[in-house]
Amino acid sequence: MELVGYTNEQSTLDAVFAALADPTRRAILSRLADGQASVNEIAAPFEMSQPAVSRHLKVLERAGLIERGVDEQRRPARLKAEKMVAAVDWLTKFQEFWGASFDQLDAVLITMKQAEAKDTDDE
Amino acid sequence: MSEIPEYKFDRLFDAPRDLVWRAWTDPELLHRWYGPGAETIIHEFDLKPGGSWLNEMKWGDNSMFQKVVFQEVTEPEKLVWHHHSSTDSEWNDVPNPKMADWPRLLLTTVVFEDMGDKTKVRLSQLPMEASDAELACFAMVMSNMDQGWGSGYAIIDELLVELLEERRAKQG
Repeated sequence: MELVGYTNEQSTLDAVFAALADPTRRAILSRLADGQASVNEIAAPFEMSQPAVSRHLKVLERAGLIERGVDEQRRPARLKAEKMVAAVDWLTKFQEFWGASFDQLDAVLITMKQAEAKDTDDE
Repeated sequence: MSEIPEYKFDRLFDAPRDLVWRAWTDPELLHRWYGPGAETIIHEFDLKPGGSWLNEMKWGDNSMFQKVVFQEVTEPEKLVWHHHSSTDSEWNDVPNPKMADWPRLLLTTVVFEDMGDKTKVRLSQLPMEASDAELACFAMVMSNMDQGWGSGYAIIDELLVELLEERRAKQG
């Protein structure tokens, strides 16, 4: 679907921004940065139906960030614009690095506190 | 560039400071939380000024290597280190494979504030010995983080220009 009245570059820009605004789509790009994958393979780590994944893939495809294989059975998705996607992957990882690590630290601290409480009980 | 961009992240932990300090400075505990979703392997951990923390993070078949050199170790309140953000498996600095202009060296300061049964951790990262390109890249990412994913997108803008240029070049 082409929007009339936009230059190609403007519509590309809008489509890319819209595609990247969604965390699930960024996670899908991150997955594809490790190699091409079928809808099934992409859906596996997410709690999401295949049609939902297919819809996300369509958005990414329209934005020119991925392409789909011609193999009708699997139609594996793979990255286009690899340099950009790699940078977005890195940006996402940096943005989430400390926050996500600290969530894991919360869990470690809980087990440390439990271990200390147990030691105190044992004395 | 006159002002060096800084990354800041503060977080309150529901544990007393001695526990939080241990979780940061005991490699047996550190590897369990450092690196989101990664299998983190600590190859060396020498907690003293000049000592190294050699860190590998594995996501599936992909490994990322980082080297930390401690500058200040003040138990239980402060750690300062030089963060070599991307190294090869021999721990030599290499450009970031995903973003070539990412700063190779970050001055990292972690302050642990005692708040009774809670602890506030204040983290700061500042590019060191950075080229103009590295400072620009870091500044761009920082401004993007301030605005979040909902707006901004300065970095995507720049990368998209590259993409369009590549496409034009292909089309001749």
